Amino acid sequence: MSNVRDYMVRTMNSVTPDDSIRKAIILMYRSEQSVLPVVDHQNLFVGTIYSNNILKNIIPESFGFLDSSRLFYEVNEAVENLKYVKDEKVEKYMARNRDAVKEDSDMKKLADIMLNNKESVLFVINDKGFLRGFIERSNLLHYLLDETEVQTAAEE
Amino acid sequence: MITTVTLNPAIDREYFVDKNEVMKNQFIYNEEDLKIYPGGKGLISAINFKSLGYQDVQNIGFVGGKQGLFFEKMVQKQDIISNYIYTESEIRNNVKIIGREPATYTQYNDYTYQVEKEDVKELIVRFKRSISESKCILISGSVPEGVDFDIYQRLIKIAKDKGKHIFLQASGEALKLALESNPDIVTPYFKHHKTILDMEMKDKEDYIKAGKEIQRRGAKRVMIPFHCDRLLFDKNGDVYQLSPRGYCIVNWLGSSDAYNTGYLDYAFQTEDFDFLEANLRGGAAALWIAENKEIYLQNREDYNSYLDRLEINKLEV
Repeated sequence: MSNVRDYMVRTMNSVTPDDSIRKAIILMYRSEQSVLPVVDHQNLFVGTIYSNNILKNIIPESFGFLDSSRLFYEVNEAVENLKYVKDEKVEKYMARNRDAVKEDSDMKKLADIMLNNKESVLFVINDKGFLRGFIERSNLLHYLLDETEVQTAAEE
Repeated sequence: MITTVTLNPAIDREYFVDKNEVMKNQFIYNEEDLKIYPGGKGLISAINFKSLGYQDVQNIGFVGGKQGLFFEKMVQKQDIISNYIYTESEIRNNVKIIGREPATYTQYNDYTYQVEKEDVKELIVRFKRSISESKCILISGSVPEGVDFDIYQRLIKIAKDKGKHIFLQASGEALKLALESNPDIVTPYFKHHKTILDMEMKDKEDYIKAGKEIQRRGAKRVMIPFHCDRLLFDKNGDVYQLSPRGYCIVNWLGSSDAYNTGYLDYAFQTEDFDFLEANLRGGAAALWIAENKEIYLQNREDYNSYLDRLEINKLEV
């Protein structure tokens, strides 16, 4: 049986609810992750901050569809909005979901969770709820490919 | 969770050539002649701990730019939990050219890495919340440009306030200031000059004086490299000399990190800690690395078989 531990990415890259949105944005682009885990001051997982959520809040009306004729106006509006939003706390924009997976969870269960929740990234915690890293769809595909190859080898 | 701290990591690149000549193009076709690995004192120990079977091992520090992300991938490939502050400036690259005939070794040490004050502030915040699961923290290595020399002093104070044990391997001004926060175990290393706490090291007496002074300034226990030996300063004031017998050194890289790993591994595994026994384990691990062409430890059995090649003698001081 394969566990999440075998395919996850181990990293403590995270923000806290008290951190500013500016800090979250900088961390997102420097680490090339558009979704970050939110942890408390002990590194316990408490939620998720999505770049999409931040964008939705700075381009509220036209999110998802930027008309080219309105693009200049929209971008300017976003810049203006971000001037205020950047100093606000992550707490205000984070999702307080608890959809983290445990590192010893079966990879088969992970497929269910990931596809049912439509999450591209799930954060991984240990038994006590401390952050351990994340697992994304490419890791799930990696696992499925390994399974396919094991099956093929067995059939041969 | 084992926590190691590496503030100034680097991507180490080793190129093996038949003959290293200036003004000559070299071509490397064989994969074995090109080695790229993540370097940094605390990190090498982290990889060693992983090899010894510890489940959760994290490495805290700075990485920078796109090459920093590449560095992080290499660390994660070793199953280490990366815990890095990402900086704008690119991470260091150390280049080593090793010639076979004649045997030559040319090293280009990169000291261009720059850390901003905002990143240092963030490291302090991250460190505070990341050590909650650890009982002992290994801080090891140099301090990058832009980071004040009191950084180790600050990190140790945070950890000590939370009741953590600190193993520190440092040099120069950073070591001097760190002692004020009373680290539990200190092992100084020589960087560019053979000095400890500004004292020049020539004779054994100089080393003993330095060890005593490190203890006087705040460290409980001290281990100082003395040629191929180690001088050991126990917390009750006793001084010992650890010496290997009949050795043949083929590699220095990774031996001090192996020492730290062997020492701490013993401390983690025993409930009846003995300072000399811990140093024997550390010495055996260092000797195993020094006599093999490896940077990382592989298992305890390898280096425990070297234990009977070490001796410890008490010094009259």
